This record gives sequence, structure tokens and C-alpha cells, in this order.
Amino acid sequence: MTAGYLLQLLANGLVIGAFYALLAMGLSLIFGVLEIVNFAHGEFYMLGAVGGLLLINRLHFDYWTTIASVTVMGACVGWLFHRVLLRGLAGRSFERSLLLTLGLGMVLQNGALYVFTATPQIVRTEFGVSSVLLGDVRFSVVRLLALAWAAVGFIGLYALLYRTRIGQAMRAVAENREAALIVGIRPERVARLAVVVGIALCGLSGAALAPVYVVTPTMGLIFAFKSFAIVVIGGFGSIGGAAITAIALGVIEALVGGTVSLVLADAVAFMAMIVVLLLRPLGLFGTGVRV
Amino acid sequence: MRRVALAVGLVALYALPLAGPSEYWMTIAATACAFAVLSQGLNLVYGYGGLMSLAQVTFWGLGGYTSALLAKDLGWNPWATLPVAGAVAALAGVGVGYASLRLSRHSFAIVSLVAALLVQLVARDWQGLTRGPLGIPGLPALRIGAVVFDSATRFYWPMLTFALVALAVMWRVMRSRIGLMLLAIRQNEPLAGSHGIDALAHRLLAIGLSAVLSGIAGGMFVFLLTIVDPSILDFYYTESMLIMVIIGGPGSFWGVTLAAVAFTVVPELLRLTSELRMVLYGVVLVGAMIGLPAGIGGLIARRREKQWRARLA
Repeated sequence: MTAGYLLQLLANGLVIGAFYALLAMGLSLIFGVLEIVNFAHGEFYMLGAVGGLLLINRLHFDYWTTIASVTVMGACVGWLFHRVLLRGLAGRSFERSLLLTLGLGMVLQNGALYVFTATPQIVRTEFGVSSVLLGDVRFSVVRLLALAWAAVGFIGLYALLYRTRIGQAMRAVAENREAALIVGIRPERVARLAVVVGIALCGLSGAALAPVYVVTPTMGLIFAFKSFAIVVIGGFGSIGGAAITAIALGVIEALVGGTVSLVLADAVAFMAMIVVLLLRPLGLFGTGVRV
Repeated sequence: MRRVALAVGLVALYALPLAGPSEYWMTIAATACAFAVLSQGLNLVYGYGGLMSLAQVTFWGLGGYTSALLAKDLGWNPWATLPVAGAVAALAGVGVGYASLRLSRHSFAIVSLVAALLVQLVARDWQGLTRGPLGIPGLPALRIGAVVFDSATRFYWPMLTFALVALAVMWRVMRSRIGLMLLAIRQNEPLAGSHGIDALAHRLLAIGLSAVLSGIAGGMFVFLLTIVDPSILDFYYTESMLIMVIIGGPGSFWGVTLAAVAFTVVPELLRLTSELRMVLYGVVLVGAMIGLPAGIGGLIARRREKQWRARLA
């Protein structure tokens, strides 16, 4: 095994980890603010990829417009999702929101299977398969751009949460719901924004990764599976914890997959989750008391 | 009166193949038996234990794979594989429950889902053990002496017998002190704890029991299919079980049993493609969560309660 190969694995792991992070952060944000675990999260990511596929292959949009439009569409879908389905559930039982989002996920996934069939499809961007050489590591252009989009997503989310009043309100609700209500934060506005941002990040991730991999209606499952494990490992509702865990997991998976076996790579997330639950049930970055 | 009805029902169930339905309908009847066990297992864990388990399909699939591998690779008698299938499923269930319940009910739901997805991936990708997506074909049939249960019509009898035993066991547990304690824990865990009820132990017991029975059901069922492949771990089963329990009414034994039979037979009558069926189930699930969270069983229970109150007033 050469150093170049190792670096290549690391780089691939970093890209996938960055997107695990975007999804897991959205999931964590929605859980923190609404106390709802969005089991349809992976399917929204799939919809983003399908959106990218349709815009580029059918409507011949260029790469940049596509990603921007899919992200905006994701935000609109998030608004609708909150307005129609989640709003009525505020403060109701955990199981109801779980089954509702699970049912929605099934509708989306199987609806997509019915319309597009299970055949994997390739997104043909204007960059084709061209690649650049950075040191010893060869990056395809779309992969490098995906990494840049992930960075945009990170910076955007960070700026929203730490540099705006509404972002501060979101963190306040996630940290202590009652206290946030007492100081006059309107929970519904904050909840709506959390869902909009979370689903917009799904759209961005789907559209940015669609040209890197292939698009199939079942692609959301594996990402959802990893994001849930990441949220448990990082600690429920801890957005920073989700980000760090996600990137670490992406890199570890790539290394294990490239050197040992792919089956083991998929199992890493699960094993890490069980170990963390046994040793540190609140998650690596979790704080506060058990609920 | 009740006993007579029960006896007549039992005789009718056992006599069903004698009425001469086609192999197709007998396959559906055997599937309905399996679904009755699976959905009642979920009912025990969710309706009584208050835990949303998304890993019930994993117990069923693990049981199926365990039986198939033991029978095919090690040449075991199919009957002898069933206890092992149940034990493997129980181990998985108690493991997932023990790790996640230390945190919360919420984490149990998530960890059970992650476990279900992981087992799906492993079944597909660990080709050395599971033969990957092609599965393990050519499984032997169950047999007792000279009687071979190699068609759906004949397989129906052992499957029905197991389903009846499993349902009876779960009914007994639900009506016992254990069932009452599970309900107490579900309603108010701190209060139940202050009365000396060990919530974790009771919940693990419920998960373990439902896993054993689901695992054995899966182990038996693969000997009808004669093949096991990753589709036995499909989300289709999870969604069907959820629909059966939610529409039947969580905590309602007869409601869930009837819903299990109804939701096995009706989709066959409608002859939907599998994707459309899943879409429909998803819509029903979302609709039920918005409009009818306690299911039809819950609706009936509420109406009955209202009548009682009216009579008292």
C-alpha cells in the first residue's frame, strides 16, 4: 500500500464525511428544536439527488444553477413539510412524529421507485469525468466541487446559528425549551426555520453528491443509517458533536473499506454507536441530563 | 359461549385447506399466520412496552438466515434449527435493548432502526456467509416421519399451530402481572420505578420474548419459501407490521390479530404492485398519525368508555 493510496482514501473519506455531517447536523437541529427525529431525512437527501438529476439531464441546467435551485427547492419542501405535517405535532408524543416521518419516508422512497425504477442513473454535468491532481491525490472535479459545497453549507449553518438573532433563538430552544419560552422566543417560528434549514441541507447534499455517485431511489437509506448513528454517537441535539463525529466516521469508513473490507466499513458506524451507548450513553459530546 | 366460538374458530382454521383453495391462497394463509405472530410481537413491545421497535423484521430475518444456514451448510434437521433461530433473534433483541434503553426510549427507536439497516447491508454484502443478494436456495422442507410439508397447503398446518401457540403465549403474558407492569411503566416510568418495578428488566423481557417468537416464525417460513435472500429483511415487513399494529390499535390483542389477517389478504385482492402498496401503507400511516393515533381498536375502546360514562351519569 502506497502513501498515495492512503491519501486518496483519506480524501474520499473527508468528502463523504463532510456530507454525513451536513445531514446529521440538520437531523440534530430538527431534533434539538422540535424534539422530532426525522426518519424521512435520508429520503429528502434522495429527492435532492433526483432533483439534480432531472435538472441537469432532462432540463439541461448548468451545474451551478442546479445546485442553487435544488437547495432553494429543499427549503420550500422543508417549509411545506413543517406547515402540513409537523406543525400539528408540536409537543405531542414522540412515537407519533416517528411514525409520521417514517410513513412519509416510505411514500417518498417507493413513489420514487415507482416513477424512476430501481435502475441507477448517472448525472452528466458539464465537467464530465475530468479530474485534477493535487499532490499525489487525484480528485474528480465534481468531487472537489462537492467538498466546496459542503464547506459552503458548514459556513452558512455556522453563520446562521452564531451570527444571527434567530439562530441564537434556535440554539436557545434546543438548549432549554421552557426558558426560551419564558424570554419570549416564539417556538413556531424557530421550529419552522430549523426544518427549512435541515431540509435545504438535504437538498444541497443530494444535488452536490449526485454527480459524484449514481442516483437511485434507495440511496437515502444508507445515508440515513449513518446519520442516525452519528447523532447517537455525537450526542442527541449536539450540532457540533454531529459534525466532528461525521467527518471522523467518513474517514474511518474509507480507511477500513479500502484496507480491510467494505462490509466492515458499513458496520463501523453501528459498532461505534453501541460502544458509545454502553460507555457514554449521552454521546461523546452530549451534555446535560438524560431524558 | 366464548369457548364455543373459540373452538369453532379453531376447527375452521385447521379445516381451511380441506375446503380446497389454491396453492396461492394457502401461501397467503400461511403468510397471514406469520404476520399475526410478527405484528403481535410488535404489539407486545410497542403496545404494552411503549417501545417503538423497528428491528422486528431483523428478528424475523435473523431467524430465517440462522435456520437456512444451519440446515443447508451444517445439514441440521430443519426442526432442530428453530430453537437456535429463536435464540439468535433474542440475543440481538436483548443486545439492542440493553445498549439503547440505558439512554431513553427515543434512542431505542433509533438504534433498532440502525440495527435493522445494518443487518440488511450485511446480508447483502457478506457474500462469504450469506451468498449475497442471490440468497441461499434449495432449502429442505419440514417433515414429521413420512409427512413432508412441502407445499403451502401442507405447510399451513405447522405454521398455524406455531402461530396459535405463539399468540397464546403472548396473550398470557399480556394478561399476566408482567403485562400489567409493562402498562404501568409505559404510563409513568418514574412512578412505576418508585413502586419497585424494574423497567429495564420488564422491557428486555418483552423484547426478548417477541424476538424469540419472531425468529422462530422466520426460521419456519424459509422452509416454505425454500430460499432465503436479503428480501426477508426488507422494510416492507416493518411497514406492514406497523400498519397492522397502528390500525389494529396498540395494546389491543384482537384488534392487532384481525388487522394482521386483513392487511395480508386485502392487498392481495387489490393486486397492487409492491411499490404502490408501500406508498399506500405510508399514506395510511401518515393519515393515521394525524387523525387516528390510537387506531381503530383505540377508537372502539374510547367509544365503549364513553358509553360507560354515559350510563353512570
